[in-house]
Amino acid sequence: MQKRWQIGIAVFVLMLATVFAVGASQLQSDPGYAGIGAAFVPGVVSIFLGIVGALLMWQALTGGFRNFTDELIGVAADNRGALWVTSGILLMAALITKIGFVLAATLLFTCVARGFGSKTWLRDVITGALVVFPVFWLFTLVLDVNLPRLFGDWL
Amino acid sequence: MIDTWNLLLGGFGTALQPMNLMWAFVGCALGTAIGVLPGIGPALTVAMLLPVTAKVDPAGALIMLCGIYYGAAYGGSTTSILMNTPGESSSIMTALEGNAMAKNGRAGPALATSAIGSFIAGTIGVVLLTLFAPLVADLALKFGPAEFFSLMVLAFVTVSSVLGASMLRGMVSLAMGLAIGLVGMDSIAGIPRYTAGVPELIDGIEFVLVAVGLFAVGEALYMVLYDPKGADAPRNTLTSVMMTKEDWKRSWPAWLRGTAIGFPFGSVPAGGAEIPTFLSYSAERKLSKYPKEFSGEGGKGAIEGVAGPEAANNATAAGALVPLLTLGIPTSATAAILIAAFQNYNIQPGPLLFQTSGPLVWGLIASLYVGNVMLLVLNLPLVGMWARLLTIPKPQLYAGILVFASIGVYGMRQSAFDLVLMYVIGVIGVIMRRFDFPVAPVIVGMILGPMSEKQLRNALSIAQGDWLIFFKQPIACTFMVATIAVMFVPIILRKRGIRLSEDD
Repeated sequence: MQKRWQIGIAVFVLMLATVFAVGASQLQSDPGYAGIGAAFVPGVVSIFLGIVGALLMWQALTGGFRNFTDELIGVAADNRGALWVTSGILLMAALITKIGFVLAATLLFTCVARGFGSKTWLRDVITGALVVFPVFWLFTLVLDVNLPRLFGDWL
Repeated sequence: MIDTWNLLLGGFGTALQPMNLMWAFVGCALGTAIGVLPGIGPALTVAMLLPVTAKVDPAGALIMLCGIYYGAAYGGSTTSILMNTPGESSSIMTALEGNAMAKNGRAGPALATSAIGSFIAGTIGVVLLTLFAPLVADLALKFGPAEFFSLMVLAFVTVSSVLGASMLRGMVSLAMGLAIGLVGMDSIAGIPRYTAGVPELIDGIEFVLVAVGLFAVGEALYMVLYDPKGADAPRNTLTSVMMTKEDWKRSWPAWLRGTAIGFPFGSVPAGGAEIPTFLSYSAERKLSKYPKEFSGEGGKGAIEGVAGPEAANNATAAGALVPLLTLGIPTSATAAILIAAFQNYNIQPGPLLFQTSGPLVWGLIASLYVGNVMLLVLNLPLVGMWARLLTIPKPQLYAGILVFASIGVYGMRQSAFDLVLMYVIGVIGVIMRRFDFPVAPVIVGMILGPMSEKQLRNALSIAQGDWLIFFKQPIACTFMVATIAVMFVPIILRKRGIRLSEDD
């Protein structure tokens, strides 16, 4: 499990290196007096990514990342909790322009609290609304930040 | 000298305006709250508040953001003394000694010595900043692009190699940060890079998004996955904050020594407050007349062990403002985000800052004097109020953090897609945390990367493409040699059994 993840991370870094290298090779710019153009630093960064990615891969294949002790061996990840938090954020992203900031943020609050094991969802809805309302007014009315409304100035 | 004095007086004129006093107070109060609350650090808070303060005038906003930065250094001690869970790694030493004191009924004096020590170190730090910043800025006026570039390389390497368990993983984080920084228009020729034809990407990836995703969403997801209930640490009871005569006598020298250790460390890119707090603690332990009281010896907790590191922590925060304001070089993730905050207002920190935005900078410096007084009041008589923040249960705490995070990200450009992106970056943040990749280099690389590319290309233009320029000029060469030397620091530290982790 551990090893597969570590290899996966190394592969990700190497992929990033490839993407950036291809991108750099397609950039064209006049090197000018400096002798280097807009493609130079991207090229260096992609080589840098490639080197560290290769070293990570080597470590992952030969006994795992160095100076790394897994403190979470045997700890079962709470995937359901993470699913609640994920849903909260994605629901907010999907609904914010449709139901307004206040309702979307209250929904987010309730979902996250549920994810962390809160069972009192009605109380969370109320707490969430009590947090969100004053914040919404402060930001929209005082600080002039544009947040989506459901209707009128107050909601 | 007299010049500085007059400029500072002018600064007080700015800082003492009612609106600016209010912003300073908001910043200090927020900063303290953040320092107290586990799970959020100053880097995240400054990032979240940036879009929100877009309509506030620059002086007020920057005063508030610096108040947060300063306040967070104060608030951390409350959590570590009362809960033994250091909110940030620079409070680890305070947690060690302060918690031992608190367990033995001396929570009050421990909190008092850290608040007063923070005040003294913070104030001395600002005095030193007042004296040194103009000198450093004058010196830095002589710097050309070559010097700046080599200084930035030094900052990159220290931030990513000194902290964290593995230099390689630090470098991976740095490389990712540099890669993110490349997206968007290049600063010299105006050529779009890595935008994949998406118009939103021409302005680059917003660092607010990356910071909030990595710090807020990453932290929340990590906690919900691996520690949702949280072994609620037993809380120590708060006692009277009165210090005895003996306490004062033992705290004084520790405060001053902590300041002397912290300030210089803050002003070099050594990656935050962890090393100086550590050094201060071991100095106090060696010098103390009561070594048996230290918790390491099974004692009841020695007050010097709280006073020194806390002073060092705050002096470091002040010291870090020297390179930030005079050179535009960040020494931590928070400092990098503060630099980006300045840029948001079209103010470029660096040697010219004192000339182009003199009144603003001096207003900022003066507000730090004022802020220190506010913070002393907030943290000493009102400490009980902050301690109650520790009773917020985890579900509601993280729910609140994510609500604020989403306002910050959404308020930036009213894009629901940004919220999805924030989530994706949060997932990357969890993986990074799970496998012990430091986060600070990502932020520093992302913000400093484009700045250093500009300096590099300018330097080479001036030198007509001669790469040896970085070794021919004495100052640039010194920085380059220092960079190479710094790479050996973690190896030496590890040989001595010292393992550092990142701040923020």
